[in-house]
Amino acid sequence: MVSPNAPPAPSEDLDFDSLLAPSSSPTAPPAPVAAPSASSLVGSPASAAVRAGHEEQPTWRDFVDSWALYRDPVVCGVVAGAVLGMLGVFVVLRRAVFVTAAVSQSAALGVAVAFLLGIHLGFTPPPVLCAFALALAATAVLARRSRSNRLPREAIVGLLYVGASALAVLVGDRIAQEAEDITAILFGTAVLVRPQDLLAVLAVSALVAVALGALYRGLVFAGFDAEGARVQGLPVARIELALWTLVALEVSVTTRAIGALPVFAFSVLPAMAALRVSNRLPYAVLLAGVAGALSGGLGYVSAFMLRFPVGAAEASVAAGLFSLAVVAAQLRRSA
Amino acid sequence: MKPSELTRPELFACQRLRVGIGGRAILPPIELTVKAGEFWAVVGRNGAGKTTWLKTLLGLLPPVSGHVQSARDVRVSYLPQRSGLDDLYPLLAREVVSLGVERGWSFLGVPRARRHEARVEQALAEVGGSSLAEQPFRSLSEGQKQRVLFARLVAGDAEVAILDEPTSAMDRVAEREAFELIRKLQQRHGLAVLVVSHYLSIVREFADRALLLDADSDQVVVGTPEQVFEHPAFRKRYGDFAAEARHG
Repeated sequence: MVSPNAPPAPSEDLDFDSLLAPSSSPTAPPAPVAAPSASSLVGSPASAAVRAGHEEQPTWRDFVDSWALYRDPVVCGVVAGAVLGMLGVFVVLRRAVFVTAAVSQSAALGVAVAFLLGIHLGFTPPPVLCAFALALAATAVLARRSRSNRLPREAIVGLLYVGASALAVLVGDRIAQEAEDITAILFGTAVLVRPQDLLAVLAVSALVAVALGALYRGLVFAGFDAEGARVQGLPVARIELALWTLVALEVSVTTRAIGALPVFAFSVLPAMAALRVSNRLPYAVLLAGVAGALSGGLGYVSAFMLRFPVGAAEASVAAGLFSLAVVAAQLRRSA
Repeated sequence: MKPSELTRPELFACQRLRVGIGGRAILPPIELTVKAGEFWAVVGRNGAGKTTWLKTLLGLLPPVSGHVQSARDVRVSYLPQRSGLDDLYPLLAREVVSLGVERGWSFLGVPRARRHEARVEQALAEVGGSSLAEQPFRSLSEGQKQRVLFARLVAGDAEVAILDEPTSAMDRVAEREAFELIRKLQQRHGLAVLVVSHYLSIVREFADRALLLDADSDQVVVGTPEQVFEHPAFRKRYGDFAAEARHG
């Protein structure tokens, strides 16, 4: 039984596979007694304590005492928020906000499909790979220039978003014992992050951040004046392909770890906030990274303190930071 | 034609070039040669095919038939119509100028705060835009933006400047100033300039070669501005304005 006041079980002692990742067998081993139950890992970080009969409001001290348990998801939220925030500046500037939503839902569908294949084939393909494959496929569809004058690209984005969300729920319905996990991936309600998911997020985020730095000037020129850039010999189509591949890569690993809703929020709201207050693009990129990291970290802490679902709390903090940015921009203008 | 003009290097040659969209030609075959230091004006009514021809010349659109031959490693700068630039990007004027320096894969690398600083400062000074360097590009007036974009082509050490309606959002005075600046840059750097413009009296004053395109009547006329303005196809398309163009 877990109490906020009691020393938590070290995260490395948790059987994450039995708690978070679905198994191909409907008779999955029960959760260890000392660890939170599977249901306590979905919802708010403090829900384990509440469900165990501790109805008192969690305190900051409880959170600090349980840091070993919550360290990984906080680090994951901070890193994912920072890198998605920086990447998001280029997504927002390219007027492709909902592309990330459709790509993250496609990644969530990829994870669900991996679980389904595990049940039917007796072998679960790596969910992150399935997430990346579907995210990349969605990106490829969206990157294609429509030859039709009848439907704008937004319509295709909408189709992919709705189609991927609906399919993920349908697939989730066929793998009942994993339904909670699918919900966690779609809405970001997972409280804990498995060590291998954290490692994947750290490695891919580092790669994406370095690539973003290397491509920075090309991304700016190709976005600001695509034809001028092409005339000066820049490989604009390849630069765009690289951007959307980076988006698919980052979105797929972070969706598996923290869920589609916070991933979409991190890739849009911090960038919007930064672009609202900054007149300099390099500063906007850095500011978006900071706002994304804050959204991930503060979101998790607020979910713990106020017993909110994690993903929704992280998205709400990101929305709150955007509201602050709007107020700050207004105040600066009127000063 | 002056003897010195015969020896100017050829930068672009259109050979039986037909341009169009989606494989459908919109103009008859075009034969012309653009040489270093020439000032070309491209005229025609809206929808005449001017931008389509420019984009084909630049390799942004494939030719329907025929060829565009360009000199090896020719450095071209293109200033698209205003709508081609995205004002959402929060860039300083000097950052916009520094984009002109990028060629091919040169953009790869560690971002630096003041890349090509000396070159950018010199280019801005040359167009009288030093005071604009630290200002957000999107908050500049149309005339100031054009000045910054001219600095971009100077910073890129361009041999050919292709400008698609660069003065479309300017008043007459600002437009004249812009053309005077273009001519100054052309003479100082030996630039070949191709400008799309609707202001015919300005074309007559500044250009030494003109190209009339008219998709509606399937006409292409190449010559000096005077020859083009005297052509029946021009008179037919421009009506009363044709006389104004001929006499200034």
